[in-house]
Amino acid sequence: MKALDYYIDRVKTLPPAPRLLVELLRLLQEPEVDASSIVDCVTFDPALTASVLQRCNSAAQGLAEPVHSISEGVVRLGFNEIYRLVAATIAETALNSPQPGYGIAAGQLWQHSAATAVAARVVAGRLGLEVNQAFTAALLHDIGKLVLSSLLEDAYNEVIRETEQAGHSFLKTEKILLGVDHAEAGGRLLERWGFPDVLVSAVRCHHDPVQANPHKRLAACVYVSDMVAHLLGLGLGYQAYAVEGRPEALRILEIAPRELESLVIEANTALERTEWATQIAP
Amino acid sequence: MPSPSLSAIAGFEQKLVVGVGGMAVSNNRNTLMITYSLGSCVGVTIYDPVVGAGGMLHAMLPDSTINSTKAMEQPAMFVDTGVAALFRAAYELRVDKHRVRICVAGGAQFMDPSGFFNIGQRNCAALTQLFGRHGLSVEHHEIGGLVSRTMQLNLANGEVRLKSPGCNGDLILSPGLS
Repeated sequence: MKALDYYIDRVKTLPPAPRLLVELLRLLQEPEVDASSIVDCVTFDPALTASVLQRCNSAAQGLAEPVHSISEGVVRLGFNEIYRLVAATIAETALNSPQPGYGIAAGQLWQHSAATAVAARVVAGRLGLEVNQAFTAALLHDIGKLVLSSLLEDAYNEVIRETEQAGHSFLKTEKILLGVDHAEAGGRLLERWGFPDVLVSAVRCHHDPVQANPHKRLAACVYVSDMVAHLLGLGLGYQAYAVEGRPEALRILEIAPRELESLVIEANTALERTEWATQIAP
Repeated sequence: MPSPSLSAIAGFEQKLVVGVGGMAVSNNRNTLMITYSLGSCVGVTIYDPVVGAGGMLHAMLPDSTINSTKAMEQPAMFVDTGVAALFRAAYELRVDKHRVRICVAGGAQFMDPSGFFNIGQRNCAALTQLFGRHGLSVEHHEIGGLVSRTMQLNLANGEVRLKSPGCNGDLILSPGLS
């Protein structure tokens, strides 16, 4: 933990803590949530409000008349859709920058995360998991890469040696070269930001969901969604496919191997319909 | 007076991006076909030097029987229906099966001994089987591995190039005709 905190404290360009998401997730868990408290939370930030409204009014939402305010958006699209648009807006700002240590160009980490989140929505919806949690964990699953990228910047040759020659996964390679990996770093970041345990654990264990007990179903959902994003061609950066196969994730979720291909098709259709996930901000 | 064809405008290069689960054919010699993010998906290019026409496919899954409705709507999503659709479209441009030069790239593989997630491997196997059945041989290929690839076909000469993150410069998979 000490090494992790040391790395996290040294990063100069970490995004601000997404306190709003933590607060919104808490509100959405309440049985009788008051619409005005959600609206107040979002409208406190005018730039965020503008971006969320822009997303509400994108063609993909299919609204005949545009939405003019967050409270109108909540009425017409529902709390959950507004929550996901807020989460996507915040995550895009956090994940849009290039991560040269991973060979990830500007926009690509966001593109991968957005595809994973859209896939998580499909997987969670199919399995009856809590969709907002799955969506958020998937959006933020690789956020630990922001912590480790600069440390890997001059290590391309070592990464190739460990992955291609020694046959280690990228995650194991990070552990060998830095003593920590991006899943641990992401989990720790979420913990420091005050996210609930279930999300911390799903992000920390998104490459090894069994370890996330008692939250292994959510972690397995993030793992499978991450794999689906790779299968959609959105595994980006150096050695992007140096990822260990975890058949136990399919067992945890009771997904038959053959069903994986159907999930890929379903996620692809969902992604094509999600304008905010396919457009990259300049 | 007829309008000039695009190919008559010197130096005009038309870049045609083929999306995931998409395909394209053309006989415009100024066309550069390109497909990004070939991970576990497979990219196929075909080029007939005699008629100067060719095409590109970016298929995502090996077998269309998993979803026949989707295969009707978007045949290029699957290896079996995609290759058939690519050749059918190319024959309209007088491409000849016996002259065609085929290149294949993609099919990246996870580190997954169980094979459950290795759709890349299944995509490559499906292609090999399909080409074998139709007596077609692949001239050049670059498949498997751990990387995502960008593939491009230049219809001016049939040259096929690949690019991967971390690699300086392009890999020339098939040199163009001079």
